[in-house]
Amino acid sequence: MSDTLPLGVTLNGIERSVEVDPRRLLVEVVRDELGQPGTHIGCLTGDCGACTIELDGQIVKSCLLLAASANGCEITTIEGLAENGELTTIQQAFWDEYGFQCGFCLPGMLFAAKDLLEVNATPTDGEIRSAINGNLCRCTGYDTIVKSIAEAARRMAAA
Amino acid sequence: MAYAAVLRSPHAHARIKWIDTENAAKAPGVIATLTGEEARELAGPIPFFIDPAVFGGKTTEVRCLAVDKVVMAGQPVAAVVAESVNDAEAALAAITVDYEVLSPVLDADQAMSEDAPRVYDDWDDNVVITIPFVEGDVEAALDAADHVIEDEVSIHRLSTQPIEPRGNMAVWEQDGSLTFYGSIQNPHPLRLHLSQSLGIPERSIRVIAPNVGGGLGLKMHGHPEETLVCVLAKLAGRPVKWHEDRRETLLIGGIEQRHRFKIGFMNDGTIVALQNRIITNIGMLGASPGWGMSFLSALSFPLGYKIAATDVQVQAVTTNKGIWNATRGYGKQGTNVPMERMVDMAARHLGMDRIEIRRQNLIEAHEFPFTTNSGLHIDSGDYHGALDKLVELIDYEELKAEQERLRQEGRYLGIGIAYELTPEAADIPGTIVGGFDSCQVKMGPSGNVTVLTGVTSPGSGNDTGIVQIVADELGVPIDSIGIVQGDTEACPYGFGNYSGRSIVSGGNSAVLAARDVADKVQAGAALLLEAAQDDIELANGLASVKGAPEQAIPIAKVAETIYTLNFAIPGIPEPPLESTRVYKPDNIRHTPDEKGRIQPYPTYSFAVHGAVVEVDVETGRIEITRIGIVHDCGTMINPAFIEGQMAGAVVMGMGNAWTEELKYDEDGIPLSTRFKTYLMPRAGDVPEIELVHQVTPSPFTLLGTKGAGEAGVGGGMSVLTNAVDDALAPLGVTVTELPVSPPNVLAAINRARANGGAA
Repeated sequence: MSDTLPLGVTLNGIERSVEVDPRRLLVEVVRDELGQPGTHIGCLTGDCGACTIELDGQIVKSCLLLAASANGCEITTIEGLAENGELTTIQQAFWDEYGFQCGFCLPGMLFAAKDLLEVNATPTDGEIRSAINGNLCRCTGYDTIVKSIAEAARRMAAA
Repeated sequence: MAYAAVLRSPHAHARIKWIDTENAAKAPGVIATLTGEEARELAGPIPFFIDPAVFGGKTTEVRCLAVDKVVMAGQPVAAVVAESVNDAEAALAAITVDYEVLSPVLDADQAMSEDAPRVYDDWDDNVVITIPFVEGDVEAALDAADHVIEDEVSIHRLSTQPIEPRGNMAVWEQDGSLTFYGSIQNPHPLRLHLSQSLGIPERSIRVIAPNVGGGLGLKMHGHPEETLVCVLAKLAGRPVKWHEDRRETLLIGGIEQRHRFKIGFMNDGTIVALQNRIITNIGMLGASPGWGMSFLSALSFPLGYKIAATDVQVQAVTTNKGIWNATRGYGKQGTNVPMERMVDMAARHLGMDRIEIRRQNLIEAHEFPFTTNSGLHIDSGDYHGALDKLVELIDYEELKAEQERLRQEGRYLGIGIAYELTPEAADIPGTIVGGFDSCQVKMGPSGNVTVLTGVTSPGSGNDTGIVQIVADELGVPIDSIGIVQGDTEACPYGFGNYSGRSIVSGGNSAVLAARDVADKVQAGAALLLEAAQDDIELANGLASVKGAPEQAIPIAKVAETIYTLNFAIPGIPEPPLESTRVYKPDNIRHTPDEKGRIQPYPTYSFAVHGAVVEVDVETGRIEITRIGIVHDCGTMINPAFIEGQMAGAVVMGMGNAWTEELKYDEDGIPLSTRFKTYLMPRAGDVPEIELVHQVTPSPFTLLGTKGAGEAGVGGGMSVLTNAVDDALAPLGVTVTELPVSPPNVLAAINRARANGGAA
């Protein structure tokens, strides 16, 4: 094992520090060292979006970052979305509208949906499709994902 | 925990002269290294999921690491176990392999020539198997036909690529037993195959398949890395995990095939003869079940079309391209695509409407069950009803008018029509592809129920579907039921996930097991309520007397009484409230008929598809603007899940036919190594899907279900291809080559223009 680098992050609201192999990607450290396996690895080239997380308030594909480069950052993973076991409005909409099948792409889809709805509260179907173009799903054909996000937008507007 | 990495051949065809792992063994963090020679001492060959020898074909020995020779680029030749993935991968670079590079053979036609390099040195030729299906006198029928079209259709190499790659982990216990965790589809069959390759008793192995991130056929086993990880864990003396990189997933392909056919038809559109020579390019012959798709591509002709004389032959040819594994649809797309192309070609030749020609030739509802020329016994259907619904759904007549208007403006709108037949729930004799499955239903003293099943879920929702079935039979709330899948220690013997079987075989076995438990609950309730057992109804968590709902007792109370007062109450049913049952669907026939044909499927779901595309003839780019589907899979347990399966399958099929292609360079080195070069559909590439259900129950399955999940892939491929063909008809283009990717479409347009075109 080569020399390690320190990594201190606020992960889902909790301060964590670990020593990381400088070769390791952020997604690998999030999963293996920080114990948050809900962030998934599908391609390691930024194409599938299954590893999407929030880094300092921005969604990023965590396979495209070296872990050590996230030192001092605030990270939210899928495990940090629901509070006290209550699904968020977006998560609940995905649940109700069958917005996933195997669930492997789901964490990334949820972050992409959250990111969209934060800047566009009333997206068209075309805008929704565009917002999740960076996330591959091989199960659903995307229809129910688009419906889930549209439904989440409606519920958030009504709340 | 230790981590494995696999060194793979950089050559498509080469002899391994020597391998030196000494430097790798000394690299930081390395625990063990392994070569093919060493692995051969530690593990036997990997058993075939479906051995071609069972069907009279040629076979070979498949090892977890290549010995002496590699026959595909990417074949595993050595492995490293280290403290971290990074250490393991870094150490691979320190392994030296001296190869004698041989000429590869990549094209199936070339592989069949006399002087072609042999993929396997001890074979006479590169043909794995030749399978004919002949019915009637095709030559005479072609002679008698008013029209004959002779052409070919080729389908490229593609793959299913679930978003979760494969992953395996092996844990050896001190007593010599093994626990294998994997993202796999078939835990019980894998346990048998691991016991055979590792030389330990089946009972010493536990296979656990936790939640799987999509299977799609690619996670059926026989891959080298299953046995390999077990051997590495033994060497390392600790658990070893291997997590596949996408480059490795993309080594696995399927389907690549060419159909050279003659189709004969009459002036009125009746198709009377089909001769088809199919050659599949299966790449390296692997132990996984992929090669067998060749068989299905031929067997499934002529789908549900009534063609009196057919002569279909498939030859599966090995080459130095990558290995095949099952791709969702399991070769039936290799029938659907060419058959639907042929029907469209005949329609265009006659100037006949494409819905009409299908009406003219498809089996009519009153003709079921229907025996096809290859001996398939199609259980039931209403193809004409589905066509009528499709015409209405997509407003076909209005679409044709719009197409005409746009053509006047120089725009190329295409309307695709495709019929799709999907034989489901296969049982292949002499193999571990079973058509039956099992279920155990257990009710405890609290009234809670655990369902254990032999089928596994790749995320399709079959777990929920099976729970719904049990809830229905037992009359208990859904949230009082839990389900366990994918654990060979816990679950009764079953075959896992493939062939749209989970509800047909798994769901119906759950019905039988739940009914046994319900019988005991009813007997107990009858005693406690002083009523006749036949009068006890189970619903909403209560056992009540028919016609006297005030006479009721909670089912949980009945269960508690049976478990806790069994000695106190004479005549109360004996615990446990448990039953394990197998469901064997009807209609499977393995005894050959007078023509030597068997019937491996209980049931045949079907669909008709419509799609609208617009083609930019300057760039070859396709925009898909509408997808309409009428789907019939018999009785539905959970329509929302079925819609999800169909939508996903159709979009996958469209991607398969459109932009997805596993390409190789002239040396046989894969070029489609990442999702940047293997292009699967994204959300913006497809429109909303319009889906209508039709329900024609199967008379041969308990609940009338026909299976869902595979259907849609062949239909999606066919309808997109036909739509592009229709769009470009005014230019004189006939689409015969997939994928219909922009470069290929542009090339087809340019060829047609060079030939003067039709327009």
